[in-house]
Amino acid sequence: MESGAILNRSELTPAKMFTRNPAGMNWTPWFLVAPNLLWLAAFMGGGLLVLAAMSLRGYVPGGVGISDTWELTHYVTFLTDEYTLKVLFRTLSIGVQVTALSLVLGFPLALWLSRLRGMSRAMLYLVIFVPLITSAVVRTFGWMILLSNNGALNASLKAIGIIDGPLALLYTELGIVIALAEVLLPFMVLALDAALLNIDVHLYDAARSLGASRLRMLVQVTIPLAAPGIVSGSILVFMMSVSAYVTPSLVGGPQVPVMSTMIYQQSVSLLNWPFGAAMSFILLFALVALLSATYASGQKTMVKAS
Amino acid sequence: MMLPLIGLLIVTYLLAPIIVVVATSFTTTAYPTFPPRGFTLKWFEHVLTAPEFVEAAQRSAVLALASASIATVLGTLAGIAMYRHRFKMKGLIGNVMLLPILFPTIVLGLALLIFFSQIGIAGSFGGLVVAHSLLTTPFVIRMVMASLGEFDPAIEEAARSLGAGPLRTFFTVTIPLIAPGVIAGSVFAFILSFDELVVTLFLAGPDMVTLPVRIFTQVEFSSEPTISAVSTLLIVCWVVVGVPVYQRFLSVKHK
Repeated sequence: MESGAILNRSELTPAKMFTRNPAGMNWTPWFLVAPNLLWLAAFMGGGLLVLAAMSLRGYVPGGVGISDTWELTHYVTFLTDEYTLKVLFRTLSIGVQVTALSLVLGFPLALWLSRLRGMSRAMLYLVIFVPLITSAVVRTFGWMILLSNNGALNASLKAIGIIDGPLALLYTELGIVIALAEVLLPFMVLALDAALLNIDVHLYDAARSLGASRLRMLVQVTIPLAAPGIVSGSILVFMMSVSAYVTPSLVGGPQVPVMSTMIYQQSVSLLNWPFGAAMSFILLFALVALLSATYASGQKTMVKAS
Repeated sequence: MMLPLIGLLIVTYLLAPIIVVVATSFTTTAYPTFPPRGFTLKWFEHVLTAPEFVEAAQRSAVLALASASIATVLGTLAGIAMYRHRFKMKGLIGNVMLLPILFPTIVLGLALLIFFSQIGIAGSFGGLVVAHSLLTTPFVIRMVMASLGEFDPAIEEAARSLGAGPLRTFFTVTIPLIAPGVIAGSVFAFILSFDELVVTLFLAGPDMVTLPVRIFTQVEFSSEPTISAVSTLLIVCWVVVGVPVYQRFLSVKHK
C-alpha cells in the first residue's frame, strides 16, 4: 500500500517537473478548459437532454401536437415499420459505399502527395484544400449539373460508347454516393497523408534492398504502417456521410430518403418533434454500435497479430 | 510511373463540381449548362445587385465574425491546456471537446431547435452564434495545438526564470509565438461558420436567412446561373482568405 502511494507520487513527468508546487493540484489547465467545457455542457449537453426527453413524448397528429405523456411509441413505430428500417439500412449502406470509394480514391492521391516535395507538394495540397473550404452546397450544386440526364457525365459516357441512353444518376442512390464521396474525399486524403508522412523512408530502402517488389512493399510496408490513418479517415468519412444532409437532400431528393432528410422532414416540415428526436437517437445508437463493433474487431486483430 | 496518372484522374473527379460551377457562371443560357455557351458577366451583376444575396452575405459575415471570436477565445485556452498540461481525465476531456467535429449536425440542429424554443431564444441571432461557436471551436483547438507543437517550451521557461510572472509570460511570450496558429484557427472558424448550413436551417427564422441557406433554397426550387455566379464569388473569396489556414496546414504537415 505504502510503496504504491510513494511510487505514484514520484512519477515525474517533464510537465510536473516545472510546476512550482509539485505536491498540490495544478489548477491552470482547469481554468483553461473550463470556459469551453461549460459552454459545451450548457448548450450541447442541455440540447441533448432536452432532445432525449422530447423523444419520449407523445404526438397527436392533426394540429394537436406534442402531448404531456411519456411513451416509447416513436421508437417502437420506427423499429417495427419496414419503410423506416429500409431508410436506416439505406443510410448505413450509403455510408459504407462512400467510405469505401473515398478510401480507394483517397489512398493513391495521398500516396502521391506524400511522395512530392517543395513546390509540387504545395500545389497538390492546394488542389485538395480548395474543395475542403468550398461549401458542400456549392459542390453539390455542381454535381447536380454534372449528374443530370443531359449533363456532362452522361454526355461523356455516351461519347465513349459505354451507354446508349441516359443513365439515371440524379435522384438515385448511386448519384448520392458519387457526389458525397467527392465532398468528403479531402478529409480522407488529409488523414491518410498525416499517416503516410510518419512512415520512416528508410523502411522503404530496407525493403527494396531485401528485394521486395513495388507491390509487395505497398501491401507489406505502406498499407500496414498507414493503418492508423486508414482507420481514422474511414471513421471520419463514415460518420460524416451517415449524418450528411445537404448532398442527399439535393442529389437524392424525396425519391431517395435517408435518415437525415427524414429527421428534417418530420421535425421541420411536419413539426413532429418527438418522432424526429427518436429517429435522431436511433441514428446515434446505430453509429455508436457500429463504431464499438469496429473498435472491438480491431482490438481482436491486434491481439491476433501480436 | 503510374501514380501521377491515377492521381490526376482522381484530382479531376475532386475538382469536377468546382470547375462546373465556375464555368457555368459565365454561360449565356438561362440555365446552367456544361460546357457553358458564350460568355457573359450578367449573372454576377444579378448577384451583386440582388438584395436577397447581398443581405444574406452580410448576415453570414456578422454571424461568422461573432461565432469565430467566441471559438477563438475558447479554443485557444483549451488548446494550450491540452498541449501543455497534464491533468486528470485529460483524454476524456479532449475527446469531449473535439466531439462536435464527429457529432451528426442533423441531430445537433434538432436538439438546439427544441432546446432554444424551450428557453425562449428560438430563431434569434444569439442562438445562431452559440450554435456556430460550438461547431467551430474544435477546429481552433486543433490548429492551436498544432502550432504549439512547433514551439520550444524552453522559451517560456527562460521568461519565467528571468522573473516574468505567469500572466506576463502568457501575454508577452506564449500568445505572440502561437499567434499564427490562432489566426489560422480563427480564419478557419470564420469560413466554417460562414458556410454552415444544416444547423442553421433548423435555427434560422425566416428573417434570418444566411447566404448558404439562400443558395440551398434557390437550388431546391430553381436552377439558374445566378447560383453558379454567387458560388464562384464564394470560391474566389475563400481561396484568398483561406491562404493563412492553408499555409498553416501545409507547414504543420511538412515537419
